Amino acid sequence: MKRRGFIFGWSTGLRPGVLAKAGSAPGRRPALLLAVLVCAATACQAATNDFFAQGVELSRAGQFPEAAAAFEKSARVRPAAGTLVNLGIAEWRRGHAGAAILAWEQARWIDPFDPRAGADLEFARQAAQLDAPQLKWFETASTWLPPNAWAWLAGASLWLAVGLMTLPGILRRRKAGWQQALAALAFGIFLFCITANLGVVSRTQIGFVLKKNAALLLTPTGEAEVVSTLNAGEPARRLRTRGNYFFIRTAFASGWVSREQFGLVCPEQPDTGAATPVQVDNLQTRPL
Amino acid sequence: MFGVVFRFLLLTPLLLRAQAPPQLPPGGLAQLQVAQPAVDVTTPVTATAAFDPPVVSAGEKTFYRVTVDATESSIQWPDEIAAPPGLKFGPDARGQLTQFLGDKFRPLTSFIYEVRATTTGHFTITNFTVDVYGKPVEIPAAGLDVVAENPNSQPARQLVLETSATNVFLGEPFHVSVMLPAGTNNAIEALREIQINGDGLMTDKTASRQSIEAVNVYGQLKPAFVCEMVVTPIAVGPLKFSAQGFTAGREFTAPITIRGQVTIPGGPAKYVLLVSDTVGINVRPLPVEGELPGFTGAIGTFFCDPPQLSTNRLRVGEPAHLKIVFHGKGDLMRLTPPEPPRSAEWQIIADNPPDTGYTLIPLTDEARATPAIPFSYFDPATAKYVDLTIPPLPVTVIGEGLPVQLPAMDDESDSGAPLKLSGLAAVPGKTAGSLKPLQLRGWFVGVQLAPVIGFVALWRWDRRRRFLGAHPEIVRRRQARRALRREKNKLQKAVADGDAEAFVRHAAEAMRIAIAPRDAANPRALVCADVLAQLGSADQNNRAGETVRKIFSAADAQFAAAPQTGGDLLALNSEVETVLQELEAKL
Repeated sequence: MKRRGFIFGWSTGLRPGVLAKAGSAPGRRPALLLAVLVCAATACQAATNDFFAQGVELSRAGQFPEAAAAFEKSARVRPAAGTLVNLGIAEWRRGHAGAAILAWEQARWIDPFDPRAGADLEFARQAAQLDAPQLKWFETASTWLPPNAWAWLAGASLWLAVGLMTLPGILRRRKAGWQQALAALAFGIFLFCITANLGVVSRTQIGFVLKKNAALLLTPTGEAEVVSTLNAGEPARRLRTRGNYFFIRTAFASGWVSREQFGLVCPEQPDTGAATPVQVDNLQTRPL
Repeated sequence: MFGVVFRFLLLTPLLLRAQAPPQLPPGGLAQLQVAQPAVDVTTPVTATAAFDPPVVSAGEKTFYRVTVDATESSIQWPDEIAAPPGLKFGPDARGQLTQFLGDKFRPLTSFIYEVRATTTGHFTITNFTVDVYGKPVEIPAAGLDVVAENPNSQPARQLVLETSATNVFLGEPFHVSVMLPAGTNNAIEALREIQINGDGLMTDKTASRQSIEAVNVYGQLKPAFVCEMVVTPIAVGPLKFSAQGFTAGREFTAPITIRGQVTIPGGPAKYVLLVSDTVGINVRPLPVEGELPGFTGAIGTFFCDPPQLSTNRLRVGEPAHLKIVFHGKGDLMRLTPPEPPRSAEWQIIADNPPDTGYTLIPLTDEARATPAIPFSYFDPATAKYVDLTIPPLPVTVIGEGLPVQLPAMDDESDSGAPLKLSGLAAVPGKTAGSLKPLQLRGWFVGVQLAPVIGFVALWRWDRRRRFLGAHPEIVRRRQARRALRREKNKLQKAVADGDAEAFVRHAAEAMRIAIAPRDAANPRALVCADVLAQLGSADQNNRAGETVRKIFSAADAQFAAAPQTGGDLLALNSEVETVLQELEAKL
């Protein structure tokens, strides 16, 4: 316990010299590895916070493109609800309604209870005269908790039920009534979580049009006939992918759209996909 | 009230009147029309024919010139003219001008042939008839005297053609000077209807410049009427061309620069079609290798001033003008500016020629710089393409503003919607490792298998626990082996330290531990005889048995037969190890 206390103290920047002592003795390698991991996480968190603070400062200075780039960088390192809310605000202020709505949807994806993301989404859709994506009942149920919570809840409830049903037999003990009742409850929760998890997986195909007057194409080619044009922020579902194009279905039409013009709430690559990458390493704030 | 208004509206059409046309004063329309002199095609057509000069020596050049006062297209001119033997016809030319005769225009067409006589004598081209305006017109006969010696020889009057270059590239403009040297009495005449005859050339008459100056003609400095034009070859290979024009007296049709003293005769102009000798040039094709993007056919040496943007901070959809000024030695008038490139971020509109700027309209606020406009020219001096790309300029594009606040609605249904955009979040808030949910990650499935492993491990543990409960000797042996290993370590440490007392104590303890499981006894209760009993009958009386006895006798002084030194006991280390190995093998 003493050793662990030392390592955590060092990882938070209190005792940088203890690491060598902790790692020198045999049998302390796991502790050393843990310390390295904690340090890496702390450094990553610090970088994220730097970009976040930079974005806030740039937003207050009115430099919204640069602020959006900083928030995007922060969200790329570690997605956070507040970061994505601020990213959406910066995108909205610079006139990118589609990217703003996508960022707020991603914020709600991480934290469905974030009041700012919900309010901003409602405001943006009223201002831009856009509809929210139409969700099925199990997708609506999946919005009650964060997606990862449904996964853990499903696993925990399943194994709780299985454990309560099998462990008394394994341990050659009599099954108590409360154990059977709890197992039934856990199994019921597991069944509900299955539908919610299906909703989560289904919602990963929902995306939003990023560019204004994005062309909905008949075929996934550069010279394709334009079926319709889409408004920025319009929701759609991705049905399949071919090359650089998504086949999407909106509330009114179906067709192919370029990847650059459509952002998924759950992007395939580990980024937010909400804004254009901008070099933010040497951003300087400018007074108004 | 409504009835009054309705009746008033019904009566309103009576107050309306048609819009009156503008009234012009009498004769106003006639004043707008400018009387143009008519073109005279009704007067009977006349024709003249003559040799210029009429007397030449054999082999000397003369011109057979026919002039008809009619339009060229109306004259059905024969392809060949019947000429007497001894006259050799060379290149021909024809031209037309319109002469102004006070109150009317009259066309005038000339046909001219270069003629050389091979022998002396008098040659006559007889009269012949051609159709003009559908009517026959007789071309009179013309006579030429060819003499052996012509002391008063006056060479045929003709134009002089000079070029600024004779070896050019395809499309490379070069200058051509058409000169009419002064005639008798140094009288200067102007030229009209100058044109270049030859295939594969394009003449730019808009860039012509006329002057009267002293020029070197066939090694003689004399005043001449000079007309400079720009000619561009449009075909490759050797090209031959000549110039022609009508003498026009003092009818200068363009601004003219006069250098030096000249004599310009008065009186009506005498329109005579003159031609020049043929000049040859060689036109090379442009090299295909090394052609750079943005080549629009510009040939010469060009420079470009730094591009100037009207503003570097603009909004989406707001046009900005990019001013580009070219300089150089080439033909700037014919310089084709680079094609505006296609850009997803910019709409680019080129200025109308001859301006060379662009109007740039940003389509998105993601634009950080104006697009680079590729441009290159061909430098004939180095025979290489030169890059003159217009570089990008940094700009700040501000996006279209979206409302951050909505007006308050009276509709109750909208009262619940927020009217303002929320403020910035002060902290990042709840974080996630990735936006990709756990349900789509492979490792999460692996984590879900962990409880299964736990259940199986729990079952195996319970099963093992029950097995060991039924077979306690297994546990005892395992514990004995573990304890024996510890004692051995202590034994080696005692040997290393030279501690004979500890060596004896740990050796005896190790032997007790090694035999204890067999009898299910406490090791402390065992004695030397128990150890000897575990040894084989042969070993009891040999060195192993003796070693055991020595160890136990040393450990327990009451059994000691004779006191032994510490060095003697430590010397038993190897025998003790042998005994312990034997006992451990039976464990």
